[in-house]
Amino acid sequence: MTTPANHCRARRPNSQKRRVAAALGVLLFGASVSAVRAADPGVQAPADRLVFETDIEPILTVRGCNSGGCHGKSGGQNGFALSLFAFDPAFDHASIVSAARGRRLAPAAPLESLLIQKGTGAVPHGGGKKLDPAGEDVGTLVRWIEQGTPKAGPDDPQLERISLSPAPRPLAPGESLDLKVTAHYSDGAMRDVTATSAWHAGEPAVLDAADAKVRAGAFAGEGTIMARYVGTIATWSTGIVPPGSIDAAAVAALPRPTPLDEPVWRKLATMNILPSEQAAESTLLRRASLDLIGRLPTPDEARAYLADPDPAKREKLVAALLDRSEYADFQANKWADLLRPNPYRVGIKATLSLDTFLRDVFRENLSYDELVRRLLTATGSTWRDGATTVFRDRRSPDEIVTLVSQLFLGVRLECAKCHQHPFEVYGQSDFYSLAAFFGRVAYRGTGLSPPISGGEEIVTVGESGEVRHPLSGALLAPKPLFGTALEIPAGEDPRAALVDWLTAHDNPFFHRAAVNRIWGDLFGIGIVDPVDDFRATNPPTNPALLDTLVAEFRAGGSDQKKLLATILRSAVWNRSSLPNATNAGDFRNFSRHYRQRLRAEVLADAIDDVTGVPTSYAGLPEESRAVQLWTHRTPATFLDVFGRPDPNQDPPCQRDPDATVVQALHLMNSTAIEGKIAADSSRAATLAASELPPDRIVEELYLACYTRFPTSSEREPLVALFAREGRSRRQVTEDLLWSLINSPEFVFKD
Amino acid sequence: MANHDSHDSHDSHDSHDSHDSHDSHDSHDSVDTNLSWWARPMSRRRGVQLGIGGLAGGSFLDLFRLVRAARAADPAGRAPSNCILIWMDGGPTHFETFDPKPDAPAEVRGEFSPISTSVPGIQFSEHMTELAKIADKFAIIRSVCHNQGNHGAGNHYMMTGAPPRIPVGCGAFVSFHPSMGSVAWHERPAPHGLPGYFALAGMTRSGGPNFLGAKYAPFVVSDDPNSASFRIRDLAAPRSVEGTRFAERRELRALTDRLPRFEDPAAGDPVRGIDEHYARGYDLVTSPAAQAAFDIGAEPDSIRDAYGRNSFGQQALLARRLVEAGVPFVTINDGGWDHHSALFDALKTRLPTWDKTVAALINDLDARGLLETTMVIALGEFGRTPKLSTLPGQTKAGRDHWASAMSILFAGGGAPGGQVIGATDRLGHSASERVLSPENFVSTVYTKLGIDPARSFLTPAGRPTFLVSDPTPIRELF
Repeated sequence: MTTPANHCRARRPNSQKRRVAAALGVLLFGASVSAVRAADPGVQAPADRLVFETDIEPILTVRGCNSGGCHGKSGGQNGFALSLFAFDPAFDHASIVSAARGRRLAPAAPLESLLIQKGTGAVPHGGGKKLDPAGEDVGTLVRWIEQGTPKAGPDDPQLERISLSPAPRPLAPGESLDLKVTAHYSDGAMRDVTATSAWHAGEPAVLDAADAKVRAGAFAGEGTIMARYVGTIATWSTGIVPPGSIDAAAVAALPRPTPLDEPVWRKLATMNILPSEQAAESTLLRRASLDLIGRLPTPDEARAYLADPDPAKREKLVAALLDRSEYADFQANKWADLLRPNPYRVGIKATLSLDTFLRDVFRENLSYDELVRRLLTATGSTWRDGATTVFRDRRSPDEIVTLVSQLFLGVRLECAKCHQHPFEVYGQSDFYSLAAFFGRVAYRGTGLSPPISGGEEIVTVGESGEVRHPLSGALLAPKPLFGTALEIPAGEDPRAALVDWLTAHDNPFFHRAAVNRIWGDLFGIGIVDPVDDFRATNPPTNPALLDTLVAEFRAGGSDQKKLLATILRSAVWNRSSLPNATNAGDFRNFSRHYRQRLRAEVLADAIDDVTGVPTSYAGLPEESRAVQLWTHRTPATFLDVFGRPDPNQDPPCQRDPDATVVQALHLMNSTAIEGKIAADSSRAATLAASELPPDRIVEELYLACYTRFPTSSEREPLVALFAREGRSRRQVTEDLLWSLINSPEFVFKD
Repeated sequence: MANHDSHDSHDSHDSHDSHDSHDSHDSHDSVDTNLSWWARPMSRRRGVQLGIGGLAGGSFLDLFRLVRAARAADPAGRAPSNCILIWMDGGPTHFETFDPKPDAPAEVRGEFSPISTSVPGIQFSEHMTELAKIADKFAIIRSVCHNQGNHGAGNHYMMTGAPPRIPVGCGAFVSFHPSMGSVAWHERPAPHGLPGYFALAGMTRSGGPNFLGAKYAPFVVSDDPNSASFRIRDLAAPRSVEGTRFAERRELRALTDRLPRFEDPAAGDPVRGIDEHYARGYDLVTSPAAQAAFDIGAEPDSIRDAYGRNSFGQQALLARRLVEAGVPFVTINDGGWDHHSALFDALKTRLPTWDKTVAALINDLDARGLLETTMVIALGEFGRTPKLSTLPGQTKAGRDHWASAMSILFAGGGAPGGQVIGATDRLGHSASERVLSPENFVSTVYTKLGIDPARSFLTPAGRPTFLVSDPTPIRELF
């Protein structure tokens, strides 16, 4: 609730939430109509002859007439429909010239045309005044109407692409640069279309674009902007580099214990950034433990580790953590966020069986390839073969393929289900051809019957089953993205062929998406971010790092544990979160560790651990931990407050990482947490009842909560509290425990 | 189910006829992207910390929008209203509440008789005695209807203004779209760090934030305000540490909180966000004004008695106190209206206390001068079947689900009272005059909250979604 209401403009100056930025472009193109490939605007005509495609469509696009919220949305606005961002000029021409009995144009008195009268606001227009009555656009429209509303003929040259100039170069903070858009036609002609191009900035706080000008933000970073001229886009990416230079010797001296370090250091050097120092050993112990098993070290574990003189102790630690049983639960807890259906939809048993499947996968440490193979080729009972639950939840090829593409390819194909993807080359044929791999999935048994859906369903692969293009009705053979169609013999599971394509080492998506997700989990931000949104307009911040991770992952047989061990061995991972003089503004290039609030279940378990009082969860054995919950329906106020996914949502996988006042109040005042702190079985009570001197009590609590010893300046005032009059030793211990739980050092991974 | 022609457009966005759609398209919000578990706390926070580019543009637009929406709400320029939503889960009968049908055959008419109200020509059913005395203070809408006869689906439609995307079963709790309360909090932060959306007794089935994110989920008060030991969870220190000890803990926390903060604001330290939250949390806990808002015990007995010494009555009173403290949206989850059997027995005991509480709430707000800026709305997910039915295994008649007609009580927020909007046919079968949709109802609430129902948000899939697909409010309520 600290966040002010956020009504942002399409090109707003402040990026309050950067997710917007990433998705903003999609906003521009989201709602849609047209399933037709952008018909390229036609030719450049003699200067005095105007052509609809070349001269009129750009005006409609740049003025926003055909945007998704206006006439470009499905069915148009108030009866006037245009194709979304001029994907279909023939439709648009007809819509303007002849639809509604031609009422939109007045050939005898062009200025009186409804099109112009509305656009200039002379006649009330819900979209407001979009054209300047005295401006050039109106003049163009008038002349075009006077000429008899010509459109391009079949022999006219076609628009092939647009280009942006000058070529990208690094910008200094605050610098701006004029850009020019050039349209290139099939006959080799070129035309400056800057004035009728629209601009979009992915992350305006870093790199903004408006009115043919890019503007660098105040800090180092990188950005991509996009220009759109009718149905064609071009991108322009650059870095914002602060002036000055860094010490080459300092860069050379940076540790490089793994192949992952060099690409990061190299990238940072190009941005005049030096990474932060290595974090304290106690910080790294806590970080490693939270990263790998989602659990704090106990005071004894911390003491032993910190006292261990072995220079290889961190590698030993990582290996030991990866062997812990909590690893499987923690990983499954995360994967459940990605796959877990609403139990009111698929039934409780199916939800439980999927959860069991995931826990088994990580307990056995199946390779990532094998995990995906088992998921995507699942057959059997939704009660017993947990992977089949995904198919119970996603029942048609088009439903499952959106999940598969986003999760395993890092490509969001959702747009292409209904229309050409606005940023990408994918269209409906690609979408449904990929969906065709799931055309033979068949079901027996009891289907969905919400809200109980208790029945058992058997997922099988049928002899046949087809997927057709939704518009043309053409039968589509299974075809990978950018691949060629595959012949699948009758009776065979096409999904197996899909997995073969996915896991092949020349697949450009699959392992990149996987390593990016793993990296993004540890660092709080992906190399591509959002982690499942790979596209030209959202490039990786460090392609070389991504490539290195993929190579490591493949060399290790897509073993997630091996990759995790490599990452945790890297010098990049062990950086402190504290910024230095060069890297405060860095959020994307891993020059420092980015602090993350512990996720709901991890924090709940941490409180149980430090208080020594477990929470009792309905329907689970005593001593069960929050990361072991198999449904978000298990009542738990704490988890709700800290943003676990809402099980009522469809799909129930959205997790809120933000900190809120409500969370602060809950930690501060919750009777449930206070009950744990003050319980007779709590760590506080036990320590208070022990023979330990106050100094040791303080030490134990610090080790339990912060995984470090108190400093001498911390010890002194805290020990003194035990001598305070009117407070019992137990009360002081409780207050201290409360105080540690309520500190950011406890709530955050640093 | 005859009167649904007017709803044909619910699923499309084609029915906008007047709003500034371009503007609404520009306004949107960020959302978590589903399937990205590890969204980035620091990145979201970063912009907030930096205030990059200055908030001037944004706040100007906010102000502009708010002013415009408020003007739309009220030509006289009154402040946006808050809302107390009494959610009668299960679907209350319209016949035995606000739409009696004395001329219908006995199997439709039921056991109760109509009574006159303070407004000539308006009749309620016989147990609405207290509300009948103040019928001039509120409106009854008799003609909102829809096509979702299951509890889960009906809940979703009426609570969010969006029809459920896929068939939804009866017992379901679903969220495909943000609830009115979550949107209210998102758009209208409350003072003193108070949550902007409370749900008393429990969250309603579709009362969640959906893509707005968990921080706009209702603050649920599950404890019973009718209990002597009642206090709102988390908003005051536990009794065992109240007073000095709480203050001591606060001092102690200053000693143990040594995690270095990043000096450079460019670093966007998320821990600084926590510092703000604690500062506001402490304000809330230690502010006598804020604490007084929750102290239902401070109400004189006469007021507590007037609301009714029962959970529902005291929830209504607590809702009034919360709204008074500046909370924009409070839902009272008032369950148990699913009277498939023994309808009359159940209502004979329930309606009198319900009537008394709702009348007391309206009267109390009116006496305090708050009714003009506080909506009090009572409704459920649908109405009930005209013909009494006795389900297998039952001996006493009830009424079943019926989405073709329902009655909604709408008081305050500047809505003219003493009127009935729309009508059902002779048998109470279908809304027959001034047929209205859930979208019209929800748009009315948003407009009075000062929120433009035509604005759009960005969904997790990156699509712009209109807050309400048909943003036309019910004009009679303005």
